[in-house]
Amino acid sequence: MGLIEVKDLKYTYPHSEKPVLTDVSLTVQPGEFILLTGPSGCGKTTFCRCMNGLVPKFYNGVMEGSVKVAGLDTKENPIMKLAQHVGLIFQNPDNQIFALTVEKDIAFGLENLGIQKDEIYREIEWAVETTGLQQLRKRATHELSGGQKQRLTIASVLAMRPDIIVMDEPTSFLDPVGAEHIFSVLNHLNKDLGITIILIEHRMDLAAKYVDRMIVLNEGRVVQDGEPAMVFANDQTRLLGVGIPRVFELARRLNSRGFYFSRLPVSAQQLYDELKPRLPERKSLRHKGLDDLSGFAGEYHHQPAIDVKEVYFTYPGSVEALKDVSLTIYQGDYVAIMGENGAGKTTLVKHFNGLLKPSSGEVKVNSVDVSTLSVAQLARNIGLVFQNPDDQLFEETVEKEISFALRNFGFEESVIEQRVTWALNLLDLTEYRHKSPFTLSGGERKRVALASVLAWDPDILVLDEPTIGQDYGQKERLRHFLTHLRSQGKTVVIVTHDVEFVADSQPRIVLMAGGRVVEDGASKEIMTHLKALSSCSVAPPEITRLFCMLSDHGLPRDVLDVNEAFDILIRNIGGATT
Amino acid sequence: MSLLESLRFTRGDTFIHNMDPRVKFLLTLVSFTASIMFLELVPLVVIFLVQLPLIVAAKVLREWFKSVKGASVIAVIIFASNLLSFYYFRGGQLTWALVEYSLALTVRFIALITSFSVFFLTTSPDKLSLALEKARIPYEFNFAFITAIRFVPVLADEAQTIMDAQRSRGLELDKGNFITRVKNYIPILLPLIINSIRRSLELAEAMESRAFGATEKRTNIYELRMTGSDYAVLAIILFCFGMMVYAKLYLPPFPGLLGEKLII
Repeated sequence: MGLIEVKDLKYTYPHSEKPVLTDVSLTVQPGEFILLTGPSGCGKTTFCRCMNGLVPKFYNGVMEGSVKVAGLDTKENPIMKLAQHVGLIFQNPDNQIFALTVEKDIAFGLENLGIQKDEIYREIEWAVETTGLQQLRKRATHELSGGQKQRLTIASVLAMRPDIIVMDEPTSFLDPVGAEHIFSVLNHLNKDLGITIILIEHRMDLAAKYVDRMIVLNEGRVVQDGEPAMVFANDQTRLLGVGIPRVFELARRLNSRGFYFSRLPVSAQQLYDELKPRLPERKSLRHKGLDDLSGFAGEYHHQPAIDVKEVYFTYPGSVEALKDVSLTIYQGDYVAIMGENGAGKTTLVKHFNGLLKPSSGEVKVNSVDVSTLSVAQLARNIGLVFQNPDDQLFEETVEKEISFALRNFGFEESVIEQRVTWALNLLDLTEYRHKSPFTLSGGERKRVALASVLAWDPDILVLDEPTIGQDYGQKERLRHFLTHLRSQGKTVVIVTHDVEFVADSQPRIVLMAGGRVVEDGASKEIMTHLKALSSCSVAPPEITRLFCMLSDHGLPRDVLDVNEAFDILIRNIGGATT
Repeated sequence: MSLLESLRFTRGDTFIHNMDPRVKFLLTLVSFTASIMFLELVPLVVIFLVQLPLIVAAKVLREWFKSVKGASVIAVIIFASNLLSFYYFRGGQLTWALVEYSLALTVRFIALITSFSVFFLTTSPDKLSLALEKARIPYEFNFAFITAIRFVPVLADEAQTIMDAQRSRGLELDKGNFITRVKNYIPILLPLIINSIRRSLELAEAMESRAFGATEKRTNIYELRMTGSDYAVLAIILFCFGMMVYAKLYLPPFPGLLGEKLII
């Protein structure tokens, strides 16, 4: 008998007609590490809620079939009983931390169960050690960083000694190094303590190497279930728009050109191990990466769009958030601002449209000092799209939402009508024109928020974390869309943690740490500057990791995307295949 | 706002911070009663001065000063309104006694603010909740109290973000007449409310997932225990209170400092 047994599960939320899950049957053995994925809205989160009885106990609705966890039927047993076997961790750590101190939050579940005090203290001790929170035990919860908060949520369910931990996109708000830290904690729980883990994640490049089984859901049905390599190799997975790890994609293409792999790799290390025996050691191979074009940049006479000079900024009653930041972004530039959580990235972009005024120093937009203009005046030229669409959507219909800014700027009715139609079209939202934005899915809401800014056609577009919570297909669409904007001469600035997205679109990168700009340069240059990256909690993309290892064999390091990697490998080890 | 802001718990490891919250609350209560009991300038000044060492000992002088500064507008109003109203009702004569009386009321107000400052600035919400638990307040209320405190910074951040997002879309908050200005806040309030509802649902899910309400006999890993020094403080407080009641009942009233006492 498996640890989890799901049989013919079908579930429909109340007030809804379409089932979210249909005919789901699967068995999970103790000790498995499962990655659950699928396009947005496929029913992943609902499936997680079935694991401890939140569905159907908390949500009601109609559930058919059965779910048994550790031998307990979820329909017959109360959530509090199931909670002792299944620890559920949600996406936003802030909404699951209840106590004011770390130690007290870890104790929360055990206190609820009425466990003896000294036993609770023992469990806290163990949980903080396992998750690396020893130093923070007495700390106030609101003072923790994003990564620490997420580790706390793990510690808090861990203290209840669950057999299974289920996590819904635990790393989406974290910087790459913070995310890897979470994964290594999960890996430790799984491999060393034998805890079964079910993880929802969109970022395959990060997650695939840790798991031993992958389940792909689509429209509420299990469409793929097996070893990651097998699932990624299946064309159906690709067609659904599930991300394929870049390294796997590379290996698959090499494979189709006659390179035989005993096992298709999902991480840079695995692919390197496969390639290594076929490469001569430390020999300069005939290779040439694509020519570096960055030297040409200085020859053009760009107009600066945003000019930040020696800016310092301190939040009232708090620490310095920006220290001596100087940065020039030229018209038509495409810039990604990257760096650890709390590095000051969002604080910096809030200076671009005057939401924040520098404590000292100067910010100029199109050569005009921002301190002389109001936010509304600046916003005409700079569109700033925030991370979470729910922080701005409020109107009854998508149409009204998009016209909100146009009305604020005093456009004429006829122009507003035109612009709204144009923006809806551009982002593929026309069919939702008269719908309420609140009935749309997360990805669609994000597009509405973007459309509501694009509608007034600003010259400069700043996007804060545009890829969070987006599945692979949505990210690809966003990437094409940004390319389209750039071809119109727009200046585009993104703030992001998503190294793979950056590797695919190769913008100029500004690295930040501790309120300072640490490095600034072309993608290829920055992504191979491992020391600078790690000082900013950014990890290089998988392909670059591979090439950093391959550089010992005389291959170039600065390779970011699959196409280029493929070209170089084919040219250099083409003869070594037989 | 700044008045409330300055009453927020400031972490520390002083004698005052570590005092049992029940004893500390009694201290506040006694200072409160004392301030109400007396109307004369001298005892009120004494009550005020007695509290100053506590503030210094708790190292919250700066925070306390902020709260007094926040209250200063109200203090001025108290002084002026008393002075003016008595001036008119008493036939338009401005006497030193009147000034003294108005001043006494103002000092009383400051003393009250101070006694509450000492309590709230130095008592962690966790201890407060423990005290509530000892007072047999049901855990649900207690939990709601802690959650409210826990989410104050989260909500403040969120409100700021929403405001920034809408301003980035050209919303000008301080434009137009009074009605328009109120309307300007709708784009900020609506997302805030909707997010809060969404959040409360997520919180409920997370609570359920951690066995909230599993047993009537909930454990609390923290415990309140009166120490020797708590008992000592308790004794001092009771002694002082006794003295005050004695003074009020059996000693002649304090003479006016600046002239004939005002008889009300």
